[in-house]
Amino acid sequence: MPVSRVTHQSEPNSSFTRGDHAKASLASKRNGKLRLMLQTLVQVSLFCLLAVICVQAEQYFDLPIPGSVIGLAIVLLLLLTKTIPEHRVSLGSAWLIAELLLFFIPPVVSVIKYQSLFENYGVQLMVMLVLGTVFVLVGTGFVVDRVFRFERRMNRQRAQALLASGMED
Amino acid sequence: MSIFEGTGSVLVGIFSLVMTLVCYTGAKYAYGKFKFWWLSPIMLAPLGIISLVLLLDIPLASYFQFSHLLTLMLTPAVIAFAVPIYRERHLIAKYPLTLSIGVVVGLFLGLISSWGLSKLVSLPPELSKSVLVRFVSTPFAMEATSSFGGVPELTAMLVLLTGVLGMMICEPIFRLAKINTSLGKGAALGASAHGVGAAKASEIGEEEGVVASLTMIFTGIAMVLAAPLFSQLFV
Repeated sequence: MPVSRVTHQSEPNSSFTRGDHAKASLASKRNGKLRLMLQTLVQVSLFCLLAVICVQAEQYFDLPIPGSVIGLAIVLLLLLTKTIPEHRVSLGSAWLIAELLLFFIPPVVSVIKYQSLFENYGVQLMVMLVLGTVFVLVGTGFVVDRVFRFERRMNRQRAQALLASGMED
Repeated sequence: MSIFEGTGSVLVGIFSLVMTLVCYTGAKYAYGKFKFWWLSPIMLAPLGIISLVLLLDIPLASYFQFSHLLTLMLTPAVIAFAVPIYRERHLIAKYPLTLSIGVVVGLFLGLISSWGLSKLVSLPPELSKSVLVRFVSTPFAMEATSSFGGVPELTAMLVLLTGVLGMMICEPIFRLAKINTSLGKGAALGASAHGVGAAKASEIGEEEGVVASLTMIFTGIAMVLAAPLFSQLFV
């Protein structure tokens, strides 16, 4: 992946004299915001490029896994194998996730087309949404609460066993 | 009678895109400044834009001409979730059982409840099919909904409503159901209210937020991967 090569992290240049350095750091503070924006832009563009490639691959090879998930797996693999360091993609990733709402505003706007559907079934729909949400909140919360207490106990016991076996040696 | 009559539709398209960006940024700015929940961009931005489209009588085709480019960004946004997964790999390694059970239980309860309730309440097929994926985050839901025969636009709206709903009712529910642990709250919010829930969870606590995000991402991925299978089961 070319992801690691493109963005430039600001490294203080060692050949600077002290005065130059102070001036440079002042300038870099002023440029800091611009540089961050540029880095974000480059990283977001790379995420977009990878998305295009993955979606094309999905269609070309007729894969059962969507291109987006293939892309996610690729980036995760590159991060886990340290092929790309996290800071090369973290700005772009943070931006894309933070602005998620913006990306699905257009489809939400098009519910205007289905206005009559919401007018006719609005009440039933809301009842259903509320009941379903309560069900999932309580069910998931209840189960995970119990499993978490169990796993936390297991982790502690394992830690204690490790400690005890360490003392025997 | 549209005020845009006679105007080139390209101009209307550009205007729509700019309007969307301005409303979104404005709502974000207002929320950052005043922090009232009803100013939350997730409520204000879509409502504001829908009102403007209706008031100015903008044809939907013109609205979408350029605005649909924004929706294309949902694919790179899914890829971007690789970074938070990587960042929280230590938490995943510490509680693999709790997290995966949270994902499986959340996914199945979401599907079963939507499916069962849509059988009880008679809804037209567009709605009852689109409602099935409403608990997973929008980029995943939009990807998965076609397997179930859902309509992407309706799905986006239902996902949004579900998220806002989960955010609003979670705290009294946790108190009543005595859900006290950080992982319990986080998983419940991530599974029931996706991104909105994750934002709410990080208000409750840091660990809650991380767990909610992870649960949201993994339920989303699982939903997308298993949608063809689930669509056979939940007809």
